[in-house]
Amino acid sequence: MITAHAKDSFERIFRKAAQARLPSSPDDECAIMPLAQTGESAAQGTQVAVLTISSIVFRLLLILHFDENDSTRGYYLKEADERPFQEAFLEICNLCCGAMNQELLRYFPDLGMSTPYVLSARCLPHLHELQPALLSSYSVTLGGTARLGATVCVCAYAPVDFIADTSAVEETSGELELF
Amino acid sequence: MSKILVVDDSSTVRDEVAGFLKKNGLDVDTAVDGKDGLAKLKTSPGIKLVISDVNMPNMDGLTMVEKIRGELANRTVNVIMLTTESSPAMKERGKAAGVKGWIVKPFKGDAVLETFRKLAS
Repeated sequence: MITAHAKDSFERIFRKAAQARLPSSPDDECAIMPLAQTGESAAQGTQVAVLTISSIVFRLLLILHFDENDSTRGYYLKEADERPFQEAFLEICNLCCGAMNQELLRYFPDLGMSTPYVLSARCLPHLHELQPALLSSYSVTLGGTARLGATVCVCAYAPVDFIADTSAVEETSGELELF
Repeated sequence: MSKILVVDDSSTVRDEVAGFLKKNGLDVDTAVDGKDGLAKLKTSPGIKLVISDVNMPNMDGLTMVEKIRGELANRTVNVIMLTTESSPAMKERGKAAGVKGWIVKPFKGDAVLETFRKLAS
């Protein structure tokens, strides 16, 4: 029910959002490599942050896999930062999903977004039970040190066909729109 | 002195926004969700500007605004939404509830500081 164009569009929208929002500094490299299997990189203790973008015709799950180890903590929390890691990381996930949501709104005006929640990565093999029309996983390396995983899962309830133009560099985030 | 109330369930955002405003000499209080925000508004008559997230547990930001207009109708409180949400339908609901403006996260303080000062005065 999802055309090849639409699948490609969802994947490009994810890549653009991840590259814009997952690095802690805009100068950091964000290397995204596709994985053959969902949850392939998940180690014992790996957790996932799950966010949902819903429309009338599809539901998209953005799933970011993370290990709360020294390299990930060190990447997102600076020395004097006393915040709990998950608190800081979930806001990063929220911004990443928000960037996808903003891009998708150009094609689907009826979108709603969830707040992030955390699950064990042991849930990942069960994603197939949702019979998704698109299930893509990636490894994400940030600044050459921190490693995350990511899964984009889209379930369609009606035919989905669109071609996203992700070349636009329009950046309206942070601007105040007065009514 | 007039005060700004920052409402967000993320302590990261509360700390970032409140910290920036305090550093620039503004008086700031924080709340963890819409319910908490509404309660603080009722007990703090000095709050003139609310900067609020939309998606929060217990009470979302737009419901909070609707309640402010209903339960605190005699107060002048400007509300700016600071959120990852950017759907036209949600903005329309905000407009209808009397929201003054909308910012899509991430927060860029320098771009909005002077407007915040005016709305809080």
